[in-house]
Amino acid sequence: MNRKRALISDTFNLKKRRKGSEKFGAGNDKDEPKDIKSTLEYLMTLFPRKLFNDTLPQVVLKHQLYSIHNDKTLVDKEVNKLRECGELLMFQLGFDSEAFGLVFTSDYKTKVLAGEEGKGTRTTVEKFLEKVLPSCTDLSFSKDKMLKVFLFTDSEITQLVKSGVLTVREAGSWWLSIPNSGKFTKYFIQGRKAVLGMVRKSKYGEVLQADLEERRTTSQVKFPLRYHVHDIVGAELVER
Amino acid sequence: MSAADTRAARVLSLTLDPDRDVDRIHGNGINTIDIEAVEGRYMLSGGADGVIVIYDLENYSGKLQYTCKAVCTVGRSSRHVHKFSVETVQWYPFDTGMFVSSSFDKTMKVWDTETLKPAEVFQFEGNVYSHHLSPIARKHSLVAVGTNNPKIQLCDLKSGSRIHVLQGHRAEVLSVRWSPRYEHILATASADSKVNVWDVRRASGSLFTLDQHNGEKSKASAEAVNTAHNGRVNGLCFTSDGLYLLTTGTDDRMRLWNSASGENTLVNYGKVCNESRKKLQFAVSRGCSPDFVFVPCGSSVAVYALHTGELVTMLRGHYNNVDCCEFHQDHQELYSGGKDSNILAWVPVLRTADVEDESNNDNKGAAGLSAVNPAFQDAWSSDED
Repeated sequence: MNRKRALISDTFNLKKRRKGSEKFGAGNDKDEPKDIKSTLEYLMTLFPRKLFNDTLPQVVLKHQLYSIHNDKTLVDKEVNKLRECGELLMFQLGFDSEAFGLVFTSDYKTKVLAGEEGKGTRTTVEKFLEKVLPSCTDLSFSKDKMLKVFLFTDSEITQLVKSGVLTVREAGSWWLSIPNSGKFTKYFIQGRKAVLGMVRKSKYGEVLQADLEERRTTSQVKFPLRYHVHDIVGAELVER
Repeated sequence: MSAADTRAARVLSLTLDPDRDVDRIHGNGINTIDIEAVEGRYMLSGGADGVIVIYDLENYSGKLQYTCKAVCTVGRSSRHVHKFSVETVQWYPFDTGMFVSSSFDKTMKVWDTETLKPAEVFQFEGNVYSHHLSPIARKHSLVAVGTNNPKIQLCDLKSGSRIHVLQGHRAEVLSVRWSPRYEHILATASADSKVNVWDVRRASGSLFTLDQHNGEKSKASAEAVNTAHNGRVNGLCFTSDGLYLLTTGTDDRMRLWNSASGENTLVNYGKVCNESRKKLQFAVSRGCSPDFVFVPCGSSVAVYALHTGELVTMLRGHYNNVDCCEFHQDHQELYSGGKDSNILAWVPVLRTADVEDESNNDNKGAAGLSAVNPAFQDAWSSDED
């Protein structure tokens, strides 16, 4: 809904933006930790492992980092550095071309291999994890690359897709993905919509962050509220 | 503190000028403004009603409060006025005797400032979104015109001919800009999400097209390969040294590119709201360290630091959408025009007196100090002027 005429109060900034009330002691993560890695670790703790019966590695979205650190370009650079040295993996999550999921490589490996226990695809997946992940920081792979550079056969690629490590992007190219992440995406989008709704429905369309975090969430919201708050602030769906 | 730092300090303290008004002539939204490069004294504005107005920005009234008077107007009563909204106006870069305007009435008119009559009219087949004359060209006098048609026309002011056409885009061309560094380099932005950089001396196609992923095919979905944005690209601006190019698109992103290599510098400005279906006119400061970008964002103007991408401040003051903004290089002032038919002037709050007579030098330093951010106080204790 686009108002044809902006409200006078908008011009004169009468509406005080009160969402950034963390300064008043409610949260302790606004203290500008310069280290991106520790922020990542903190955000990972917000991820609900029990919800997925521990089958998923902890996932954080790249824009959640923007809600904690002010300098987005710096965040991007640091994330790329971590990816270069192989500690972090980035995934295209699919529901938004700009939403990238970040997972620690060690976490990813353990979970994927645990999920592959007893399955026939196990060896192929292991081979993939050993060969491809350390050498290549891409988000997607084309058929050419898989066949020629990494020397996988067609049937092995099918096995990788079946196990969930690769998802089809288009004919002849695949995204790197997290197995069983469908549930994650579904709950995430649901929860995001619900939290946004909570903010929009409140009086004047604003909420104190401390207040919001204390509210009872509907059954739609399966993740801890803070996780969603970092997400919507970082993605600039709300203003702090 | 160097001069560049002082200029940056002035930009950081921009607020709405309480003492200066710009004459309100337009009855409708203002689409484009341009300040002449020679003296920085006259400003052109083009409006949605087809009217073009010239203002005198200097204050000779001797009073603190003054209005920038409209010197002359090409109003609705003129025989030569544009029939529909004027989308771009630009002064002839070398003197104020001439200016060029283009409009949705599918024409581009070259005006004589004295008589306010068009010396030349170029007719096109589609709406003209944008035109630009090179600010430094000595060897040519070409005007690049971006229209509804994917082909970019180059019109020659000296001969009136328009045979030179640049082909390469697939959808309407929303913005065209010459490089302020090389007079033969032209950048064009189109609704097909691509930005092409051309050398007009070459007979074949563009030099290169900007790729937001810098060749990393893995990051993009297949359709997004070799695109500058994930949506229509509607704003182009070179930095004043011509080394970098800024582009804005309807995917709510602004990107900074190295203009020589076409590489995306990956500076992340965050979400730069952009709903414009036409071109967006934004401005970059010059000679400040660090440099700033001023982008119209809804009904305010967002100020970002150029190389770090940090949002410095939002300048609020317009009652409706802001369509264009222009930075006055010499005074570090910003003028913005919007749908509310107002042109607002934003000045650094450090200055209290805005009177343009030299004898008032002592006024500038002392009285302004109380309003100054303590971090910049030291800069003013040494007499900058």
